[in-house]
Amino acid sequence: MKERLNSKAPRKLLFLFEILSLSLIFLFSWEGIQTETYAIAVGLVLLIYFSNYMLGRISKGDNYVFLIVCMLVSIGIIMIYRISPDLGLKQLMWLALGIAMFFAAYFAIRYISFWDRLTPLYLVVSYGLFALTLIMGTRTHGAINWISIGGVSVQPAEITKIVLVFLLAAFYGGDEKYRRIKNAEILLMLVIYSFIGLLFLQRDLGAALIFFGIFAGLQYIYTQDRRLIWANLGLAAIGGIAGYILFDHVKVRVTTWLDPWPYINDKGYQITQSLFAISEGGFFGTGLGRGNPAFIPLSYNDFIFSAISEEMGIFTGIGIIMLFMLLVYRGFKIALRQDNQFFRILALGISMVFGIQSFIIIGGVLKVIPLTGLTLPFVSYGGSSVVTSFIALGILQGTSEKRGKAGIGNG
Amino acid sequence: MFDLLSIVLKYVFVFIIYLFIFTIIRMIYLDIRSVDYGNLESGAYLKLLNRIDSLPYNLSDSYPVEGELTLGRQKENIIQIKDPYISKKHFRIIKDEEEFFLEDLGSSNGTYLNGERVLDVVRIGKGDIIKVGELEFIFIDGA
Repeated sequence: MKERLNSKAPRKLLFLFEILSLSLIFLFSWEGIQTETYAIAVGLVLLIYFSNYMLGRISKGDNYVFLIVCMLVSIGIIMIYRISPDLGLKQLMWLALGIAMFFAAYFAIRYISFWDRLTPLYLVVSYGLFALTLIMGTRTHGAINWISIGGVSVQPAEITKIVLVFLLAAFYGGDEKYRRIKNAEILLMLVIYSFIGLLFLQRDLGAALIFFGIFAGLQYIYTQDRRLIWANLGLAAIGGIAGYILFDHVKVRVTTWLDPWPYINDKGYQITQSLFAISEGGFFGTGLGRGNPAFIPLSYNDFIFSAISEEMGIFTGIGIIMLFMLLVYRGFKIALRQDNQFFRILALGISMVFGIQSFIIIGGVLKVIPLTGLTLPFVSYGGSSVVTSFIALGILQGTSEKRGKAGIGNG
Repeated sequence: MFDLLSIVLKYVFVFIIYLFIFTIIRMIYLDIRSVDYGNLESGAYLKLLNRIDSLPYNLSDSYPVEGELTLGRQKENIIQIKDPYISKKHFRIIKDEEEFFLEDLGSSNGTYLNGERVLDVVRIGKGDIIKVGELEFIFIDGA
């Protein structure tokens, strides 16, 4: 027996979730309630409602990715606000900027068609951003990956990540002339490895891993020379072992991954607190406002997954993983439907960024793989992370409708 | 007070999140759009929910409903299905003043709307599921 299908149901559920959780937050901070709290509530609901509505009006492409991301963002911002109201308010502003950039990126993909001919520009921009980081970078949490422009800190590697996807898409799916250069693929590999090397120098292991993941994935799908895949894997293994021997910070990550308990007071503190928080939460969590997420260092950023698992339960955590799986699945689906090779690789690369990044950080906080500092896209606090994730999503949205035959019912 | 509310709501939150995921998966599975697009791609259509390659007959993915749409075994029908289970004239969908009606044309095995057998004429709207034998269609009103 099938009931009638209500096509607006997910949007309604999203609002129900937001309204309930926001009223709970009102109650939580009843004594110290400020006008900012109202601002965040009204702002969040209106922002998400209007952007969903607008997107439905202007875009004929995929309409699931943005909805899925809205749910992730809502869970994230509520948790961030609960940990620190100041950061919650800031995150709301980043979110507004992010959604604006989402539409900007979407229109840029929709109306500009020469993206596949800009290979040299992508190279220049990538190296430029690396140079900028090395010259002006400041060190936070062991990595030199922040630069400060006019008081606003940005993480250039986040932007380079997207430029890298464009570069790979332009190489494999764009202009033929670069592929006809002698040993073009080996040159490409050298370029990518120079990026990864620079990231290692900045001690930004998480970003290095993402760069490698995107490259290995796209190379596996599109390379003409299968031997290069093995070469790539071999080099990665050698690089990993060399990194472990040469760099102390890599060694620390591996030791605390294998057994953090002897170092519970210093280097293993973060990961053990994260595990305590998750186990404290159990299946349904302690309830919003009733846990102690502040015990985990960086609970609003890298470790937001543990904080959410503590207060909202591992079921919510599994829900987040499922939302990411759905997002990546939709991304692949968009790629499969896309006829243009360049835009297809672009969609594939962007979906891989989301997939790999969420896998690395969720795996890290669960102590399944060694921990590397990364943000959970859309959920974690962080200006550059939110804005670039939304730009990437805008690109995905743009590629979902750029197709030869626009047919109803194919969407 | 707050503690009690928080404890109750944590179950509600998990429930909402999973319901959200479930709805999205179901919509992806049925392959329909969640947003209506004004008159960009107006017009109603029937969309086949079965996988085309799993069926022994030649069908297309979707059929527009303009004025009248008929389904049956005979050649005169707009959707012709050569299946002994389906009557010569099985059902039709008619548009009357911006409203759509499904009429069973006295078929022997029946037409089912959202799981209930259609006796003569019923009004249909967006998201209704029409079942004939093993075939399932979803009615989508783009306007």
